[in-house]
Amino acid sequence: MIRTIAALLALAAMPAAAQTIAVTHAEAWTMESGEPVRDATILIENGKIVSVTPGGGVPQGASVIDARGKPVTPGLMNGATQVGLIETASADTRDQGSADDRNPGFDPSRALNGNSTLVDLIRADGITRALVYPAQSRIPVFAGEPAIARFRDGVDILGEREVAVYAVIGGGAWDKVGSRAQQWTVLRKALGDARGAMAARDAGDAKKRDRHGPPPGRGRRAGEEAIRGVIAGDTPLAIHTNRESDIREAIRLASDFGIRVIIVDGAQAWRAADALAAAKIPVVLDPSANLPGSFDELGTRQDNAAILTRAGVKVAFGLAGGKIHTNYNAGMALREGAGIAVANGLPYADALRAVTVNPLSIWSKGGGTLSVGADADLVVWDGDPLEPSTNATAVIVEGRRVSARSRQDLLAERYKDTR
Amino acid sequence: MGARFGSAIAAAVLLATPGMAQVRPAPWQADPFPSRYKPAAPDDMLLRGATILDGAGGRIDGGDVLVRGGKIVAVGKTLANPGVREVDARGRWITPGVIDVHTHNGTFVVPLTDIDREASDVAEVSSPNGADTWIETAVNPQDMGFDRGLMNGVTTMQILPGSTPIFAGRSVVVKPVRGATVWDMKVSGSAQGFKMACGENPKSWGADDDNEGPTSRQGVVAYMRQAFLDAQAYGRDRAAGKVGRDLKKEALLGIMAGDIRVNLHCYRANDIASVLAVAKEFGFRIGAIHHATEAYKIPGLLRESGTCAAVWADWWGFKMEAQDAVRAGAPLLERAGACVMMHSDSAADGQRLNITAAKAAAAGRRIGIETPPETMIKWTTSNPAKLLGLENRVGTLKAGYQADLVLWSGDPFSIYTKADLVLIDGAVAWDRSKPPAAPISDFELGRGGVR
Repeated sequence: MIRTIAALLALAAMPAAAQTIAVTHAEAWTMESGEPVRDATILIENGKIVSVTPGGGVPQGASVIDARGKPVTPGLMNGATQVGLIETASADTRDQGSADDRNPGFDPSRALNGNSTLVDLIRADGITRALVYPAQSRIPVFAGEPAIARFRDGVDILGEREVAVYAVIGGGAWDKVGSRAQQWTVLRKALGDARGAMAARDAGDAKKRDRHGPPPGRGRRAGEEAIRGVIAGDTPLAIHTNRESDIREAIRLASDFGIRVIIVDGAQAWRAADALAAAKIPVVLDPSANLPGSFDELGTRQDNAAILTRAGVKVAFGLAGGKIHTNYNAGMALREGAGIAVANGLPYADALRAVTVNPLSIWSKGGGTLSVGADADLVVWDGDPLEPSTNATAVIVEGRRVSARSRQDLLAERYKDTR
Repeated sequence: MGARFGSAIAAAVLLATPGMAQVRPAPWQADPFPSRYKPAAPDDMLLRGATILDGAGGRIDGGDVLVRGGKIVAVGKTLANPGVREVDARGRWITPGVIDVHTHNGTFVVPLTDIDREASDVAEVSSPNGADTWIETAVNPQDMGFDRGLMNGVTTMQILPGSTPIFAGRSVVVKPVRGATVWDMKVSGSAQGFKMACGENPKSWGADDDNEGPTSRQGVVAYMRQAFLDAQAYGRDRAAGKVGRDLKKEALLGIMAGDIRVNLHCYRANDIASVLAVAKEFGFRIGAIHHATEAYKIPGLLRESGTCAAVWADWWGFKMEAQDAVRAGAPLLERAGACVMMHSDSAADGQRLNITAAKAAAAGRRIGIETPPETMIKWTTSNPAKLLGLENRVGTLKAGYQADLVLWSGDPFSIYTKADLVLIDGAVAWDRSKPPAAPISDFELGRGGVR
């Protein structure tokens, strides 16, 4: 019985998987250079980009999408959102947080819901991937391990899980440990404990293991393995923080422990641009922010991305638009924010990088191009993708054309002729 | 009693006793907090060769605007220069200044701190009826939200109280100019605005054990009706000299008299229809439904009521009553012949109301509704001017109007476009080529980390 179902599934999958898609007359932003390939034919087979050729031909039997000379980009990636974990304001529809003080070890990817209306909308806005981050925990500093969502059709939108350890540092009423000074102490202790435990394990010294960390199976905290991954260099440590003093402290932390750090939010990152560049620490930021919601964010400005990029810092966009937009308009706000960054001095190609190759290089192992052999995630637009007045006309994820209609489109259609 | 706006005579008659011949202004018409705003010295100029959207639906390609003595003198092609500075506006666009009818600037002041969380100035919430409050008495003019709006072409803002109370009190209309007090910014002669709220916000507040107030939608609507009835009874008693002044009831009488214009916070179609029925029952017209995320389902009802919808493009989902918001709301309402405008409710989004309009128009395009720029601009200029009772002074580029206008670096619906020059009352209030050396707001001045 099980074998029969598997065979049926394989049969059902085969024709679609073998389908060749040709996107013709594309202004193809392959992200291999700062300029697009004009009048390109993009061939897609078995989920991969096969070729991008100016004026290229179309193989027989291919399904054709005529881009009519308009831009085609890699599927965009939101570098920080909670789409897939949140449906409404009602607590029973939200899964982005953990009340378990054993963080890290909170894996929000287990709750990702591809049937969410927010997923339909972000996909319709041309976003095919997102870093989904956990909400801050009540006990600083660890929030959990973010995941990468892949907005294919259907309920399963997991791309990669546990791509980083996520910590939050800063002022705020949420803080149950007392102050940011104590937050740094907590963070350094956790890293130090993990380093000690790993060293003890390597030395095979049982006494040292007892001294530096609890033995397996007794009071062991979930997520300890994730922190060891940070020490081992397998996993980056994302620090969601804003104030310059905290950003510089994060740079010191990275140096002291020899670990990879990612700054998220980074309202005052522009003030530490050179130091971040020297430490090769990337920043995931909201390009539209220019009003400080808190004292930590004083001086938040829309040329943050331009200043950082000029200094050599790798920048990705996320948390776009702030407040409700970060999740409920995670596609539109990302594109709008990238446009704002361009309006404030960021070169256009760099803004596209900040929503394609950069977030994938920061949170994963690369991608986000239309290079030959790359994953076929791409979007056909009816205009400049960074203009809010532009619509995505076709969205392809893993080589398949996916729905680009949201519930909002259906409601608007339903009431179109109401007078 | 027919629905109407601004009838001082009707207001006085409401209180008149038989034999009282003299018509006096009603007490709610008085302004206890008068404006001290004075326009800056005018910068006369002739802007040459721009794409002009006049705000009222007109478009001129390669047009000129002549500004003198704080007023628009002429709008047209190849205007004669009476001897004023010429500005080369070729390749650029000119529109009326943006009008945002829904801000909490000065009361929801970032950065937020404990005092805002403990005792916010956004609304007085000791009772569901805050009809006696005037939001201007809480405004902090050092809010950076004013500066950010100005730099992005906003020339008029209505500051509303929040939506927790059912009757939240008077609004104030301001110019985003520098002043030590809100009265240095206050526009005189606008309609007196007032905020009411229905739905989740007031009922959630009432449902909290610590608070007074109804706990359901029907309770909120019943509360409104009883309050208007009580105000009518007060009006009779007051006219008969039986009672002293009651500021709350006075304000509600002003609403029923058509002198105080209601801005109603309401989301769902059924909620909007409920309160429109209450307005009809008590003989007044609601100026606009704010947020109005389901207004697109009932355009006919809005048309019949003479009520506008002030909408976002893309706020949805964040509360249960906002589940059915659609980005295409504005083009759907426009097409159905209803009065619609964009609003922000946010100092961040208030910087980009034209972009909000662009998003709405793009969503309309997805379902086959095309909206041209000369129509979209009405949503951020002349339609909001009507709501504020300023439609004969601002919101349109027309001879005799106040010169509140913006010279944009390009298409005002493009994310790359900037406000090059912002004129308020014919004076340059923002010039992008001459950014100020120090922060505009006192708050940012001298703080580490800011610059």
